[in-house]
Amino acid sequence: MKKIHSAKQVFILTGVLSLLLIGMGVFSLTTGHLSISWNEISETLLGEGSRRNELLLMEFRLPRLLIAVLVGVGLGIAGALFQSVTQNELADPGIIGINSGAGLAVVLFLYFTARSSAIPLLGAISLPFAAFAGGAIAAVSIYIVAWKNGVTPIRLVLVGIGINAGFAALLTMIQLRMSESDFNQVTVWLSGSIWNADWTAVWSTLPWIVTLTPLAFYKSRTLNLLQLGDEMATGLGISVEIERIKLIAIGVALAGACVSVAGGISFLGLGAPHIARKLVGSRHQRFLPVTACIGAIILLISDMIARTILAPSELPVGLVVAILGAPYFIYLLINSED
Amino acid sequence: MKKRWISSLMLSVSMLLAACGSETTAPEQSEGDGATDTAGETDSEQTSNEPRVLTDGLGNEVEIPENPERVLASYLEDYLVALDVTPVAQWSVQNGESIQDYLQEDLADIPTIPHDLPYESVLEYEPDLMIVRDPIEQEMHDQYSEITPTYVLNSSPTEWRETLSEIGEVLGMEEQAQTVLDDYNSKAEEKAAELADSASEESAAAIWMVDSSLFVVHPERSSGAVLYEDLGLEIPEVVNELSGDADWAAISLEELAQMDVDHLFFVNSDGADADLFEDRLWQNIPAVQQEQVYEFGPETSWLYYGPIASEQVMDDVVSSIQE
Repeated sequence: MKKIHSAKQVFILTGVLSLLLIGMGVFSLTTGHLSISWNEISETLLGEGSRRNELLLMEFRLPRLLIAVLVGVGLGIAGALFQSVTQNELADPGIIGINSGAGLAVVLFLYFTARSSAIPLLGAISLPFAAFAGGAIAAVSIYIVAWKNGVTPIRLVLVGIGINAGFAALLTMIQLRMSESDFNQVTVWLSGSIWNADWTAVWSTLPWIVTLTPLAFYKSRTLNLLQLGDEMATGLGISVEIERIKLIAIGVALAGACVSVAGGISFLGLGAPHIARKLVGSRHQRFLPVTACIGAIILLISDMIARTILAPSELPVGLVVAILGAPYFIYLLINSED
Repeated sequence: MKKRWISSLMLSVSMLLAACGSETTAPEQSEGDGATDTAGETDSEQTSNEPRVLTDGLGNEVEIPENPERVLASYLEDYLVALDVTPVAQWSVQNGESIQDYLQEDLADIPTIPHDLPYESVLEYEPDLMIVRDPIEQEMHDQYSEITPTYVLNSSPTEWRETLSEIGEVLGMEEQAQTVLDDYNSKAEEKAAELADSASEESAAAIWMVDSSLFVVHPERSSGAVLYEDLGLEIPEVVNELSGDADWAAISLEELAQMDVDHLFFVNSDGADADLFEDRLWQNIPAVQQEQVYEFGPETSWLYYGPIASEQVMDDVVSSIQE
């Protein structure tokens, strides 16, 4: 693929991707077990549709669409941050254990609080915080273990994979103590599922994505300088370790918010930044917005596959992303030798 | 649409506020209690025009419509059939390929719905009342409730009599439910008396073979309850020893061969050419040699719960033993 360099081309590309995203969003509203025509959609959006269509669109399909977009953006940006900070293109919050740390915290939170039915919204709002705490614990553990006169990117990733395995093992231990139905529920959730997406989930994720994504965009210049290597960046007036910790914190918070609502969706944080980098290069002012678009598009496509392939039953969307993403990961590994 | 967005937003804001100070939360809770009390009062004073409100297994107050006509009660069809209620859709797995065969005389033309009840499938049938049993999450319950009043059963899945009474209450058919129960009990009494004459103090067990594994029924559940509690057959010692918390407990062929049992009811999900029938151990079981093994296919009601399932099992047992 040829990289696009001029600002105009980047502008056009971002426009095309946004249009593609909107188009896919509308298309996703029309696909599903029950059919609904374009006319009915516009009627319903204007508030004049039948009750069935209003339920179908406003209660089931629209929240789900929004969650797919939010989580796609969030995991894409989180992945981009981890890759830039660790200067390792194989870093992904799913692979280095951030997601399983967040997942472990969510499962523990649910296990001990047994979500009170009186205030589901409160539970839903506190979930991202629990996930953030878990992700942060994972990140800190990785940092501490990987520390050896500073942290080299490759150590960070290798230690992360180890931490990931550790958290996954802990999760299994807890799951085995659960009742059968809880076990199944957690398993489906962990494989990445957005089929329960409702407005509560949207409202609990939205603030995180809407505030942290612009913050990541704002940090573009710092991210660019970090690419030059620690010494060069220090020379240019960046306090490397502090900035690194800030950026990782943003990444962990984004990943945590996504995990708390959609479970463990791996490879998205890996694939979206990669495709974006191939398209527009690694200047973050361009790279991050394109990553966000591509992350959302990938998750939307995967979600459509997930709910049409076995319709009316569904696959967890995380499995679809993994099926699409795993070969890409292997391809990257093979090519990284050259 | 806009209204809903705004109200959701207001709700989340007020929740946040409530979460911030415990002082705010306390009075709100007592307000909630007050609301419950009022609901209780209206319930007792209700006139025929007001909707009935029942508290379901998740603690939700569910408004039950008067004379529900489009009832969806997946995997509870047995009870509906017994009460002469036709469901809008029936339980199925594997894309509608696997259904409850023993009920098909009454459910032949009823379309199927996947067992995991996807929202859009439920919406498709536009039920006016939904009854569910499986432990569903509160979120899912809330989503279903957007479509239709959704009642989660309180009664235990292993107690079909309680379940029948509860479903009768939900549907406003308490009398019919009682009639079904009385009819069943008196028939069971009669048949038990017949068996006490013809097969006095004889023992029985139900064995289920699936994927080359053998299972024995729990003496208080499913077809086990019919055999022992309703018809008064003796429980072989091994059955008591093996039974744990499952409806069917795994049993080895060796244990089965040593079981001291007069009548063996054999539910075969593997078909006639299963390896088991070639096994010497099986061929040497006394009940097999005396031809007191009665075979039933997976399409029979032996693996299920409910008044219809139990009555069919009862008929199977009586006709097999009296043959």
